[in-house]
Amino acid sequence: MTKVILNKNKVLKNEYFFVDNLTNLTKSNSENLIVTLSQWLDNKNTLSKKKNIGIKLNSDESLSLIKEEISFFKIIQFNFLTFKDGRPFSEAKKLRVELQYTGEVRASGYILPDQYIFLLRCGFNSVEIESEKKKFWLECLKMDTGLYYQP
Amino acid sequence: MYQYSDKDKQIVKNRTREFLSQVKRRIDGNLTEEEFKPLRLMNGLYLQLHAYMLRVAIPYGELSHIQLNKLAEISEKYDKGYGHFTTRQNIQFNWPKLEDVPKILNELADVEMHAIQTSGNCIRNISCDHLAGINNEEVEDPRPWCEIIRKWSTFHPEFSYLPRKFKIAVIASEKDRAAMKVHDIGLKLIKKRNETGFEVYVGGGQGRSPFIAKKINNFVKKRDLLNYLEAILSIYNEMGRRDNIYKARIKILINELGEEKLKSLIESKFKKFADKNLLLEEDEIKKIKNYFKLPINNPIKSSIPVKKNKEYNIWLNQNVIKHKLAGYSIIMVSLKHYNQPPGDATAEQMKKLSIIAKQYSHGEIRVTHEQNLVLPHIKNSDLFSVWNKLSALKLATPNIGLITDTICCPGMDYCALATARSIPISQKISQHFKDQSIQDKIGNIKIKISGCINACGHHHVGNIGILGLDRNGEESYQISLGGSADEKTSIGKIVGPSFSEKELIKAIQTIIETFEKNKKNNEDFLSVFNRVGIDPFKKDLYDKSNP
Ligand code: SF4
Repeated sequence: MTKVILNKNKVLKNEYFFVDNLTNLTKSNSENLIVTLSQWLDNKNTLSKKKNIGIKLNSDESLSLIKEEISFFKIIQFNFLTFKDGRPFSEAKKLRVELQYTGEVRASGYILPDQYIFLLRCGFNSVEIESEKKKFWLECLKMDTGLYYQP
Repeated sequence: MYQYSDKDKQIVKNRTREFLSQVKRRIDGNLTEEEFKPLRLMNGLYLQLHAYMLRVAIPYGELSHIQLNKLAEISEKYDKGYGHFTTRQNIQFNWPKLEDVPKILNELADVEMHAIQTSGNCIRNISCDHLAGINNEEVEDPRPWCEIIRKWSTFHPEFSYLPRKFKIAVIASEKDRAAMKVHDIGLKLIKKRNETGFEVYVGGGQGRSPFIAKKINNFVKKRDLLNYLEAILSIYNEMGRRDNIYKARIKILINELGEEKLKSLIESKFKKFADKNLLLEEDEIKKIKNYFKLPINNPIKSSIPVKKNKEYNIWLNQNVIKHKLAGYSIIMVSLKHYNQPPGDATAEQMKKLSIIAKQYSHGEIRVTHEQNLVLPHIKNSDLFSVWNKLSALKLATPNIGLITDTICCPGMDYCALATARSIPISQKISQHFKDQSIQDKIGNIKIKISGCINACGHHHVGNIGILGLDRNGEESYQISLGGSADEKTSIGKIVGPSFSEKELIKAIQTIIETFEKNKKNNEDFLSVFNRVGIDPFKKDLYDKSNP
């Protein structure tokens, strides 16, 4: 299934690669990488010399292991194992408020369009979704009136 | 009473529209049932044993006569002509059709009501003292604080997918009429050196593992309240267990982490990251408080009609409480008539009560967590007329606080999770003890009945708690004794092996006899239990050598 990246109502070009196995890195895909938490922890030394590295955390993985190096990452992607796992909402807020992170925060995995506005309000900039579901995401975004009870 | 602003109205309307689109996507197959479930739950819509069930929010238990009348209409139009008031001061309709639900929500929105966050893993309706603002003991009226928290917690972007449901209660006096200490967060307004603020209790709850909330802060200033709540919820959202739904409530987190650790995490989050946009300024608080000004301001000279009518006098004695303003009274409207399931009200009862409230109680009605209703501001001189009207509606059963005033969940008659019936048990108890002189002799006692371990009927905190179980396909009832949900909150102790439905009433009769045997002077059941302990009860129930 093809995926697209949405930022508010715009489709973004995906500038990042995933590689299952870091030893397969070629010159052309050795930058603009999104790595998993374990790839990062295992290859910190080599990866930290590269440019434009992002990290993908599953919703059950905590930010605390990368807290010190957060500003190195161009993008932090929270991958929802299930849409019912609300931890990334707090993690994103923590990134923005406590850790003063200014890079991109992306949601991916099993998420529902009905969560779009909450995601944006908690500090996410973009979502990775199935392209055929795009219209539902845009519909949900349109329902946002900007009237909230929270700041 | 609180009145919707344009913003409130718009938000509720949007939600109805959003729900309509979700129902449509569900019907078109673009949402699976699993995906639809949390979305409909956040709108109060359950799938029960026989049908959908819609739970409508009654914020902190307060209703206008217009709203009560609307609930009656809805029960007639879309349901079977009755509604069920719950232990969380809400109302449930047991038979709505899925396709009618958006229509019901629209009708509710017309009278400033909704079903938002009455279920699902989010912050639920805020519980409050049903005598808020009208008793003499409180530091100040807790209702404005419930409203402030209601707003903050509604569609909170961070806290709508919590590990589990989350319940908050606010009280404002030493007396606890809201079971505050069995909530995830309990707040108690107190006064210290002329400043009002909150004692904060965390981690109370019932269900499979009951816990009494622990005090984690002696004084949170008013202006900091929302930031403090935000710190608690944030830690809970991050650290609460998601691997096992029975271990997902904050009561488990506080027990696994330890009180001190959780407290220090909350404190440090609060101190470092309080959001100044969440600070509550005096003028804002005042604005909300203005909505809750009583409709009556001054004491009046008005005396209670003296009649020779025995039933009226019993009722006066049992169901009528002093209002804080002289000349007025508070009427407790019993929903525990001997022939009606506890907490149920028919459309006719609701409609006529709404008229009574309009005429005699400044249009206000309240719901108690013990599943009764309240007419909060009745002129003393009107008491006899109101009694007559309530009597005709079977709403004047003089049993408030007595043995037939049972709390009871829907149980097997409605609930998909039930392991046994609970309503028939409460009716049997009512029938058995309905003689007024017997009830009076027994005095204050709280029987609470749940149809399964989830404890919606609060059995853990009943003076006598009854839990319905399934023992190899047979209904069987476990009894616990000595629980309490008031300011001396305690969890009842299981008395021993459970009883079949047949043996149950006899067992309760035995418990009452043991109590009466041990009673000194005017002691009530709980005092006797606390003095003599569980052993005499055990002995009388199980020791067959005992004559
Ligand atoms: S206690 Fe059990 S049976 Fe009763 S309402 Fe709750 S879930 Fe249903």
